[in-house]
Order: sequence, then C-alpha cells, then structure tokens
Amino acid sequence: MSVAAPERAARIEVAGLAASYGPSEPALRNVTFTADGGHAVAVLGPNGGGKTTLFRALLGELGAVTGTVAISGATAYVPQTERSRLDFPVSALDVALMGAYARTRWYRRVTAADRVLARAALQRVGMAEQASTSYGTLSGGQRQRVLVARALVQDAGVLLLDEPFAGVDATSEEAIMRILDELRAEGRVLLIATHDVEQARRWDRVLCLRGEQIAYGPPAQSLTNAVLEATYGEEIVMLDCGHRAVAIQHHAH
Amino acid sequence: MVFDSLAAVRWLTDPLSAPFMQRALLAALLLSITGGLLGTWIVLRRLAFFAHAAGSATFPGLVVAGPWGIAPPLAALAAALGFAGLLARLTRRGAIGSDAATGLLLAGALALGSVLASDVYRSGAGVDRLLFGTLLGLGDGDLWLAGAVALAAAAATAALARTWLATGFDPAAARALGVCAERGDWLLLALLAASVVAVLPAVGALLVSTLLVVPAATARLMTRSLHALLTFAVALALAESVAGLLLAYHLDLPPGPAIAVVGGSVFGLAALASATPWRGRPRAAT
Repeated sequence: MSVAAPERAARIEVAGLAASYGPSEPALRNVTFTADGGHAVAVLGPNGGGKTTLFRALLGELGAVTGTVAISGATAYVPQTERSRLDFPVSALDVALMGAYARTRWYRRVTAADRVLARAALQRVGMAEQASTSYGTLSGGQRQRVLVARALVQDAGVLLLDEPFAGVDATSEEAIMRILDELRAEGRVLLIATHDVEQARRWDRVLCLRGEQIAYGPPAQSLTNAVLEATYGEEIVMLDCGHRAVAIQHHAH
Repeated sequence: MVFDSLAAVRWLTDPLSAPFMQRALLAALLLSITGGLLGTWIVLRRLAFFAHAAGSATFPGLVVAGPWGIAPPLAALAAALGFAGLLARLTRRGAIGSDAATGLLLAGALALGSVLASDVYRSGAGVDRLLFGTLLGLGDGDLWLAGAVALAAAAATAALARTWLATGFDPAAARALGVCAERGDWLLLALLAASVVAVLPAVGALLVSTLLVVPAATARLMTRSLHALLTFAVALALAESVAGLLLAYHLDLPPGPAIAVVGGSVFGLAALASATPWRGRPRAAT
C-alpha cells in the first residue's frame, strides 16, 4: 500500500528497559528498540513473555522501571475486549467518548465537538450504525473496533494494541486490518501484541520477547527459526520443512 | 365508588398531616437521593456486600456510643472506617479473598456488638432500634446529616461520574484514558462510609442495603444508560420509602422492615418482568 507523508511526528525510543511489578526479579529486561511514525511493530511472544509488561511500562504504570523510554505523541492503550465489564450501561458511543475524558475538566460535560469527533471515529471503524447499541451486546470484533475508535478520539500518535485480533470474526478482522493500515499511513506508531507468528509477518517490524528482548527488526530478518525457538522454546512447530513456524499455545495441547 | 376513592385518597394523605410523618418524608427524600445515586455506583462497582458489611460493622460502635458519651454518628463512622481499614489490611497480601474477609469482619462485628449490648452495657430494647432503625423518630442532627450526605453524593456524582464509570468499566485501561482511578476509588469508599452512617438512624445497621442497594439493583434491571439508571434509582428509592412509610403507619409496622419488604417485592416483580420474553428480548424465530 502507498505510504502517505506522515502527518505527525510520533516516535518511540526505548533503551535498556527493565520493568518489574515489585521488588522481585524484573518481568522484562534488555529491551532496546526504536519505532518511527508510520511503522507497525508486532510484539511477539508467548503468554507471560512480557508483552503486557512492556505496554504498562510504556504507559508509565509501573513504578520500577530502569532504562530510558522516550515517546513523542499521545499514547493510547487498546485493551482486549473481554477485559472490560460487558454488563455496564454504556453504548458504543459512550465508550468512544471515554477517549475525550482526559481533556474534559471535572466540572464540565464532554463537549459537543468531542461528541462529533466520537461519532466520526465510530464511522471510521464502520460502527456508526451501532453507536447507540449497548457495548456488551456487540460481537468481539465490533467491540474491538469501538475500542480503536476510542483511541482515535484520544488522538493518539502511539497506539498500543493488546491482541487486537483475538476472538475476532473475519469481517471485523478485515475492518481492523484496514483501519490499522490507515493509521500507520497517517504517521502513527502501532505496537501490536500478538502470539501469532503469521500475524507478526504482516507488519513492518517484529519485537520478540520472552522475559527479555530476543530480536527486533523487519520480519524477514528477525523471524528466523533460531529466534522463534528462543522466543517460544518447545512450543514451536516447524511446517514446510522449516519454512513456516507455528507457535503452539499451552491450551491447544 | 366515590366513597371508595375518597377513602383511598385519605389513606394516602391523612398520615401526611402528622408532623412526625412530614419529618419522616423529608428524611426519606434526602436519603433516597443518597441511596439512588451512590447505590448506582455500589451496584455497578459490585460493592453491595461491602456496603452491607460496613453497615453491620457500625453496630458495636453504636452500642458503646451512649455509655462512652460519643455522638452516635461519629462512633458509627469510626466503626465503618475501622472496618474498611481492617479489610484493606487483611486482603493486602492476597492470601484471603475480599469476600471471605468481608464475611469474617461482618460476623466479628455483629458478635462483638451483641456481647457488648447484652453482657457489658445491657442495652436492652435499644438494640432493636440500632439494628433496624426508625424513620419515624429522627432528630434534627439526623436530618442535617442526611442533607449534607445527599448534597455530597450529588456533587460527587456530578464531578466523578466519568472517573467511576471508566474505572469500573475497564480498570486496566482507565489510567491510559487519563482518569485518576485511585483517587476516585478512595473518594467513593469514603462517601460510601458516610452514606452508611447517614441511613443508619432510618433503617438501622442491618438494613442499610434497603436504601443503598435494593433500589439501584432494581433500576439496573430496567435501564440501559447511566443517566436513566441514576434517575430511576433515586425515584424508586423515594417511591419505596414513601410506600413503606404508609404501610408502617397503617399497619403499625416498624418502617425500616416495611420499606425493605416493599423494595424486595418491587425487585422481584422487575426481575420477573425483565426475564419475560415479550419485554426487551426478541423471541427466537420459529
């Protein structure tokens, strides 16, 4: 696809990052990478490999962090949809509007301009018709699209997406893929956590994590059999005489 | 027929001419604002058991308030905050679940209160009033407290609704949305303790859920937006309090349990209605 001139100067620069949840051993260490605007980075690794820890460290939510993290551009977090309370009395529009909470003073209502923005964001992810539908009654893929719309309302230059394709139907997967391509073309930085090796091959860079950084670079260079074995250990299965690797998750045994 | 409807109107209006009933209605209005607004957050944030236990935990505080010469609301607030503090301490290491710890403290508080009431201070008939309250015998101080807490509940809901909604909806993402989840949660718990103390004189230590949980839980079954839920919960709390008061007046019942019975019945009907296929849910096509 053609890459439009970046409209924003989003960038992530991480050097020698180690992060832990308490005084114990770091959950993640030796992470060093740079991602420029217009790049989508797959963050690949097994469950417990440090993908979520990396995101929380980048969001500044972990106290115990060493190394340096420099992020230019507002950062949005797009969580897995089943982490949220599906029984809450919120519509798709209400959830998208949460993206405007940070800039709404506590004594004010969300502004009319932000409501227009939220509707436009829903339109962009193909969810305009379901704006007033209860969030909990949407499908997993539709919920994921609403959460991406929320990040758009935040006007984030950097998006951290946690397994955006997990439990998503084909229609939504296509829609999410299309919107992520658009966001990347606008000069945003996308970090896409996944444990799907094939998914990771689609993006510009791959960051392999297993408690520490195993590799970082374009998929063709970083997704070697040696790297995959180091990332997944015995969970990796080679197909096509070693040309294709599939990670086996524990629950699939 | 004319006679019948006149009698019905009198059944409703006669009690209102008595000053003690007017006072009770004012209290019901103030406490319904608190109960409906905070009840919405209690139900959404799954704090119902916490609220009930905080109410029961005030019992030993209330028993010693008289003999020790402390103002009952202060003693109740101290007991409720002590309960919350102990709960936080017990659950900090994660070795004991929050619901088990709540149950443990609830039983402990009731046991301590019973021993103090029966064997140490011989509180006698007053215990009933501490446990079940009476909306018909509130003093000026009780009304002022109810008014102040209602005002605080309304102000906090106006200022913090977004914070509480985002934090409850998805705690992991709340901070990334720029919402100060921790401060909001502390304020919610502090306000909850104050609201428990405010409803105590009216419905007693054992029935705080009557106003703080039941109306909002019922409204939750019948509404889809936060705004509707808040509004309906307040209206329902008020309607149930007034209906309970009238029942108590005519049938000579204690008002707290009467309101609890009305609230429980309305919840039952609402649950039945919302589970019936013709309402809200499309039938399966056959």
